[in-house]
Amino acid sequence: MAEVATNVSEQHTLEIRGLRAGVQTKEGRKEILKGVDLTIHTGEVHAIMGPNGSGKSTLAYTLAGHPKYEVDGGEVLLDGQDLLKMKPYERARAGLFLAMQYPVEVPGVSMTNFLRTAVTEVQGSAPSLRQWVEELSTEMKRLRMDPKFAQRSVNEGFSGGEKKRAEVLQMELLKPKFTIMDETDSGLDVDALRIVSEGVNHAKDVNHFGVMLITHYTRILRYIHPDFVHVFADGHFVRAGGPELADELEESGYDQYLPEGVSESAQA
Amino acid sequence: MSEKEMNTTSTPDSDGFRRSGTTKPVETAEQKARRAQVQANASEAQRIENARQKDRELKNEQSASTASEGQSAPAEVRMPRYDPKDPYKFPAQMPSSADSMIRSFDPADFPQPKAKDNEWRYLDMDEISEFMQPFTPTNLAQVSVSFEDGSAVPQLSDKQTSRELGVSFGQISKNEYPAGSVSKPVDLTAAIQWQVTQRVYWLNITSNVEKPVIIRVHSNNAERDALHFVITAAANSHASVVVMHDGLAHLAEGMEISTGADSTLNFTSVQQWDEASKHVGTERIRVGANAELRHRVVTLSGNFVRLRMDPDYAGKKGFLDMLGIYYVLPGDYAEHRTMVCHNQADCKSRVIYKGALDGKGARSAWVGNALILPTAPNTDSYELNRNLVLKPGAIADSEPQLEIENGDIIGAGHASSVGRFEDEQLFYLESRGVSEENARKLVVRGFFEELINQIGVESVQTALMQRIEERLAKGESAAMTQVLEDK
Ligand SMILES: Nc1ncnc2c1ncn2[C@@H]1O[C@H](COP(=O)(O)OP(=O)(O)O)[C@@H](O)[C@H]1O
Ligand SMILES: [Mg+2]
Repeated sequence: MAEVATNVSEQHTLEIRGLRAGVQTKEGRKEILKGVDLTIHTGEVHAIMGPNGSGKSTLAYTLAGHPKYEVDGGEVLLDGQDLLKMKPYERARAGLFLAMQYPVEVPGVSMTNFLRTAVTEVQGSAPSLRQWVEELSTEMKRLRMDPKFAQRSVNEGFSGGEKKRAEVLQMELLKPKFTIMDETDSGLDVDALRIVSEGVNHAKDVNHFGVMLITHYTRILRYIHPDFVHVFADGHFVRAGGPELADELEESGYDQYLPEGVSESAQA
Repeated sequence: MSEKEMNTTSTPDSDGFRRSGTTKPVETAEQKARRAQVQANASEAQRIENARQKDRELKNEQSASTASEGQSAPAEVRMPRYDPKDPYKFPAQMPSSADSMIRSFDPADFPQPKAKDNEWRYLDMDEISEFMQPFTPTNLAQVSVSFEDGSAVPQLSDKQTSRELGVSFGQISKNEYPAGSVSKPVDLTAAIQWQVTQRVYWLNITSNVEKPVIIRVHSNNAERDALHFVITAAANSHASVVVMHDGLAHLAEGMEISTGADSTLNFTSVQQWDEASKHVGTERIRVGANAELRHRVVTLSGNFVRLRMDPDYAGKKGFLDMLGIYYVLPGDYAEHRTMVCHNQADCKSRVIYKGALDGKGARSAWVGNALILPTAPNTDSYELNRNLVLKPGAIADSEPQLEIENGDIIGAGHASSVGRFEDEQLFYLESRGVSEENARKLVVRGFFEELINQIGVESVQTALMQRIEERLAKGESAAMTQVLEDK
């Protein structure tokens, strides 16, 4: 299955054009995404860096179809198919995966039950039990996850690092065409960051997906090397460059991308 | 404040049977006579008024004594002492979940119920009125007991096997201890049930009981019946007890549960009634010092089920862990009331009730009260109710209450919600490719499984999960598609 699912030469494209989205709040309608443009091809790693509150998670959620975020305009095409017209599960089946900044706890639903259901639905048929057990345990070992996690409720009582590993585990098993990682690095210690990054790199080597790597810090970029770095501020991209842009941000911070008189530390 | 003082002045001694461990206590003739005399008091109204007056006096005395830092109470404060020979001498000392609430074995002490009374506000009076007037029970409901593996639980009279297995079961007389030993009936239905009941069953747990005990109540009759159960767990005992209800019944059921010091009791009651069944139950619960009572309620079916539980504590450091789930079908009504009374220091209570309402005309009510008395410093209490409305047209009422009469507590919290599905959970599952329908199924299943897994009796857990799976599979086409259309 892993062998047939992805063809090394298969090329896919994710195009985001003029995407605008917002959310209803108690104070009224809030515009968050103000015209986002980005194109990602198979095998590319795009680092998306920006200050807190600039709308990075909103972009991730809007792509995945979170019902809270309303799209006001623009389009998102996966190999020409309009993702915005699809329900969240249809987007997942089309090949989009979101590793969430705050993975949700689902009490009472066991990890194995959930993962097998998800893999079955994404692939359209249930993997054989033997093959499934084997694959699950291999991937869990790779991420140094205790086998007991498989029996526990989805994300329930997991530490921050355990949740992030569980997200990467799902990414490995679901074999998406494009994966969005929303601050997967936050809250991880050095060891966990290395293990998680190795997991992502391995999945990418095997499945050749395109990566949208949302991060606030440059730390993770030492493990997952970006091909492109984009600066995201106030709901849209304000600058693009190569890996060297990350180093520059490390030096100068985000202050220049924030409104006059505001600094990142003051915002946090 | 001086806890020691609180303990000696305001804590009734534990009941005789708890101290005496394995010997079966029987109420003395004198006690019986005195109780009869108390019950047959000439003017009931006067008696209640007296009780309230005593209560007020006692409260005043207590606050006076706790305010004083001295080791002995000042001379002018008269401390009433609890007299185990006469448990009803100070009715006010029988812990109650609210001062204004009446506790009595005599139905005449309760005022004529009105639909707008707090106690009855959520239900349809027409559905419960048959349990508010005296009736002659059919005594047709079958009561049987066995261990989980089917082997026999010893009779009360079988002293030797009872001692070996740590438990015995059988019928006792209503006048026989420990029947009627935990507080008193809490509402009119409870007083009527006590009055008309002809069958009282006692499960006497005396030590460690290895295998779970299953009590089955099965009925095939829609005429009114009444039953009373008394479950006592001796000091240091450990046991699991499940009471399974099924069949067709109109049942008034009383339950008294009291646990001794340092004991652990897993108690579960399951309601899997036939469609036309009614079940009006009241439970009076007393948790022993440093004891743990895990109390689980699973109500899966029955046209009208109302269960009211009134727990309190017999000593310090008791832990009461109450979990409940209800799955209400179209046209059915399920009400659960958890009225926890913190009357002792250093005790903890957790109340988590979760319901799913499956379809039009399904109604549920949960009322949770945590009353923290001045006698209960260091209380830690929390109550939570969550309802999942699977289909529009169902009504879930949820009313958490908190009455804190003690400033010196660890925590008291409550939360309640009535929602459709947890959007975040559904989105999370859907974002992994799981269809809306299957995501809902996973969530509902999880909603129940989480609590069912805590019953701790494997065969019961498996059977209940199977029931829920069946219902989900059946509801899929009806309830689930409806939800999808409605979105
Ligand atoms: N569901 C929501 N309701 C209200 N405001 C929101 C919601 N989601 C995001 N926001 C607001 O939109 C802005 C962007 O948030 P977010 O996308 O989380 O930023 P980032 O991930 O870059 O830190 C913030 O000001 C945030 O408060
Ligand atoms: Mg974010």
